[in-house]
Amino acid sequence: MSFDPDIEFIKSLKETGGDTLKKCYQCASCSVACPLSTDQHPFPRKEMIWAQWGMKERLLDDPEVFLCHQCGDCTEICPRGAKPAEVLGAIRAYLYTLYGWPAWLARLAADIKNLPILLGGPAVIILALWLLSGATHIPSADVFARYGYTQFFGHWDFKWYPKNTFFIVSIMVPAAGLAVYSVYRGIHTMWQRMSKRANIKIEFRPSFFMFVTDFLWPSLVETMKHNRFRECTANTDRVKGHLPLVLGFIGAFILTCWSAFRQDILGLIWPSFHGPLPLTDPFKTLANVSAIALLYGIWVLWRNRLALEQRGKASRTFYDWFLIWEIVAVGITGLGAELLRWAGMPTLGYYVYFLHLVSVLMLFLYMPYTKFAHIVYRTTAMCFEKYRVSAFATNTID
Amino acid sequence: MDKKYGAYICTGCEIGENLDIEALSSVAGEQGMTAKLHAALCSEAGREMIRTDIANDGVNTVVICACSPRVWKKEFSFGDDKITVRANLREQVVWSMEKPSESRNAETIAEYTNELAQDYVRMACKQAQKTDLPSPYMLEKTTKTILVMGGGIAGLTAAKEAAGSGYDVTLVEREDKLGGKALNWRKQFPTKSPYASLEQPGVHEMVKVVESDPKITVKTGTEVARISGAPGALKVTFKTAGTKNEWDAPAKVSSDDQDKMNKGQMPDPNEGLKAYMEENPDAEDFGGVVLATGWYPADVSEYEHLGYGKFRNVLTNIEFESLAAHGQITRPSDGKPVESVAFVQSPGGAENDKDFPYANFVTSAVALKQAMYVREDNSDAKAYILYQHMRTPGNLELFYKAAQDDDGIFLTKANVMQVNEEGDGSLTVAITNTLLNEDMTIQVDMVVLAAGMIPTTKKEPSINLAYRQGPAFMDLELFDGYVDSNFICFPYETRRTGVYACGGVRKATDMEETIDDATGAALKAIQAIESTDHGIAVHPRSGDQSFPEFFFQRCTQCKRCTEECPFGALDDDDKGTPKPNISRCRRCGVCMGACPERIIGFKNYNVDIIGSMIKSVEVPDDDEDKLRFIALVCENDAYPTLDMAGMRKYGLNNLVRVIPVRCLGSVNMVWIRDALSSGMDGVVLLGCKFGDGYQCHFVKGSELADKRMANIGETLGSLGLEPERVAAREVSIDDYHKIPQIINEFVEKIVELGPNPFKGF
Repeated sequence: MSFDPDIEFIKSLKETGGDTLKKCYQCASCSVACPLSTDQHPFPRKEMIWAQWGMKERLLDDPEVFLCHQCGDCTEICPRGAKPAEVLGAIRAYLYTLYGWPAWLARLAADIKNLPILLGGPAVIILALWLLSGATHIPSADVFARYGYTQFFGHWDFKWYPKNTFFIVSIMVPAAGLAVYSVYRGIHTMWQRMSKRANIKIEFRPSFFMFVTDFLWPSLVETMKHNRFRECTANTDRVKGHLPLVLGFIGAFILTCWSAFRQDILGLIWPSFHGPLPLTDPFKTLANVSAIALLYGIWVLWRNRLALEQRGKASRTFYDWFLIWEIVAVGITGLGAELLRWAGMPTLGYYVYFLHLVSVLMLFLYMPYTKFAHIVYRTTAMCFEKYRVSAFATNTID
Repeated sequence: MDKKYGAYICTGCEIGENLDIEALSSVAGEQGMTAKLHAALCSEAGREMIRTDIANDGVNTVVICACSPRVWKKEFSFGDDKITVRANLREQVVWSMEKPSESRNAETIAEYTNELAQDYVRMACKQAQKTDLPSPYMLEKTTKTILVMGGGIAGLTAAKEAAGSGYDVTLVEREDKLGGKALNWRKQFPTKSPYASLEQPGVHEMVKVVESDPKITVKTGTEVARISGAPGALKVTFKTAGTKNEWDAPAKVSSDDQDKMNKGQMPDPNEGLKAYMEENPDAEDFGGVVLATGWYPADVSEYEHLGYGKFRNVLTNIEFESLAAHGQITRPSDGKPVESVAFVQSPGGAENDKDFPYANFVTSAVALKQAMYVREDNSDAKAYILYQHMRTPGNLELFYKAAQDDDGIFLTKANVMQVNEEGDGSLTVAITNTLLNEDMTIQVDMVVLAAGMIPTTKKEPSINLAYRQGPAFMDLELFDGYVDSNFICFPYETRRTGVYACGGVRKATDMEETIDDATGAALKAIQAIESTDHGIAVHPRSGDQSFPEFFFQRCTQCKRCTEECPFGALDDDDKGTPKPNISRCRRCGVCMGACPERIIGFKNYNVDIIGSMIKSVEVPDDDEDKLRFIALVCENDAYPTLDMAGMRKYGLNNLVRVIPVRCLGSVNMVWIRDALSSGMDGVVLLGCKFGDGYQCHFVKGSELADKRMANIGETLGSLGLEPERVAAREVSIDDYHKIPQIINEFVEKIVELGPNPFKGF
């Protein structure tokens, strides 16, 4: 095949954490060291030379880029200081923006220079809706104690659908919807490309159910067990951070579902279900535990990343830190707002709650383009990894 | 000299425990020497005992029966006016004792070992009786001026260094100005930490330094017509570069050629030239020569698939360099500034693992350098380096890393299969077996081929000697046209004493290494001159005062010595008799081995000494088990190998008597006759590897011995003796684990043949 190296691609990788990529001299120690690399599909040696030669096309349809858990065993062993783990991180960052839709938003979310816009945009949206809602006042201590933040966007008498819920849904659901659509497009393209590159001729397609049972569910189980993280030998602390973080998110997700059900369904029958959860509610306990797990997890990961950087085994990148900051912001503002409610400090509480809404919106909005996207892309790659060796992808007749 | 002998037997290092010392003493006694014993002869007390005998009894010839002659040399040397002879009872007797086995018990082994030790004492006593003290050969006058041929980086450095050491230097350069090929480099490799970026060429500064040095005479536009004489007294005729001259060095005329010419069957190839023995009264005197004549870029047009000579944008690295030195790099076909260049490091195709010949590491480093040119001219340009081997020794590794780190330099191992031209003059390079695990076609503006550096000596004599053996260095095919006499052991040393090569003529190399090289060569030239001035050998027998002496009254003018001397030390005199040039000689004794009349010998190493040692071995003529063998062993590699086998206690065959020789080439066939006629059952020669990758310290010695052995084998056959009784084996210094087996195999074969039928006659 004929090709032309993309020097701009090389430059951009170098700027986003892959500064060492050209140092690789192809000894393949990394592929040997990597606990996740397999005999049939070894990595990251080949990804390193593709990156060195600016062969973007090769990397776009390479599942291994996403299978990498960035544990850094390769970086530890690399005799040339080429830090393959970081380079693969940079490649992923690049691919998220490439697969991301809309492209302008993807590019926006990938650069620290845009941080004011990234912060300001969601803040303006929330503020605008707050102004629009007409509830632009700080409640009295009594109201605050009774309703907490459930009347942040005000209150109307239409009991079937509270005003506050209406506003929150009208912010978060489109944002989440955009994210879902964006990653769907991304993983769809990626799956197509990976299948083509792997020369898979689709004669038998798994049903949705089979896809879930054979590929998706095992991948999710694996993710939850953190099996692949545990294979790592260089950087073992990450399980201690990542696992509580994941559980924290799951807790928050369950809580959000329960909260919506309680407010929007049960609240119709028993109006007292409107308002903040009482402390006695087991879900409230779950929420608090989740918040603490989330904060603990991100604290561990923060320190871990910092230590790596101090040892020279990782570069300081916006890609890695932006997600850490976002999660910290969500956790601290969430927990902070709750504590301020108990303390009966409406003014400060409202400010913190405002910031909480901003940070949650950011998390949703930028999910497909930032490191957060790994939850879908890596899961997809793990499904593909199982798919390509399954009877669907291998011609069992020949 | 009147000899007064003193024999000393050491009983330390297991000698006393394993040998019958009394019997050894009486062997010395039979030779008229009273043996004294000491438990550690090498100790201060032991040596003091010897020194006392020298002082009180006038002992001047010392026989040390102890360890190998290779150890404690200084300790057992008692001054230039004393002779020391050694018998190796430790490494090659007690440390090499056979281990008891079913076929032989400890008692028999002790008996055999004692006989071996006694023979060694006999041989040492005989050697002491026959050896004379050498005295150095002095030239009437030693000229110390150094001639440096070639004004490139190597020549400039050699001239500067030799002058800096206080010697007068004449530097000749064929071109009109000094500097050589380096004048056309755009930049040079980094010489300073961090070795990451290219530097401005340093050659201009070097030229200035040399031109302003009062001890250096520069002759540009000049060539050497001929060099005659010998180190310390060389006569050099210069001429204007590119002209013909009656003093041009004449071509070699062998004895056979001369016969033909005399019969009118062959024209004289040297018509119009002065005979090689004629002396030019206008010649200048020199002591030694540094050969820095450099290299030619190799021709790469034979690789048709690469398109050199066919496509205008396919260049060699040196053509690319001069293109780059003149400004922005543009395509020769249309002058378009280049945006992409492929540097092809290996010819690829079917024989894909080979590099271009004469590449060494230089072409790798040059490709990295030139890739950087491409990038500095245009930050969007791409440089591909397609290699089979990327060789960047020393600090060049850091340079390689720096080049690799450049965004636009792409490196991969690859087989280059085909270069094709497109309509617009751009080129496509098809490559397979890449690190990217796919076959690719790269489109480039230009292809640069890594042509190697061919030493000038491969194409022309370069040194232009007026020697009997011709104007050029000999046996160049042994080392791809390079002139080293032994590249690993004796760097700079050529096959002509007093001539030291450096830089591109010695090795495909870069500037930094050339500068080291030239400094070394200058020092070797100085060493040669000073050694000559002291009448001693330069190398490899540095400091040896002995030299070959000829008893010309009996010379038959067969010219074997003249033809076979590996260093061309012998010319003819007016009457056709060999004329030795002692300061060209390396004292290997090849002439002595060659001489059928046995008229060549050294004071301390000659046909009589070794012959007498052989004859002094006791040969039992009534015992079928006690066969006797002589091993004539090269002292450079094979003898130390035997010692090493001893140190590791591998066990050596105790029927074999070892005699070290200077070189297998010095083995005179009469010694073999001596051995067989005194009833010995076989003779084995152990010498260095010869031919391709030879290890002989004197280049051709072991090969000559092998040829002579083949001839003697025929003679033996005609006498009814099996030719297998004499053999030559090649041994390298690291063969110590094999050498007992090599000897045993030889012995076993003879045991099968049975004893020498002439035994006892």
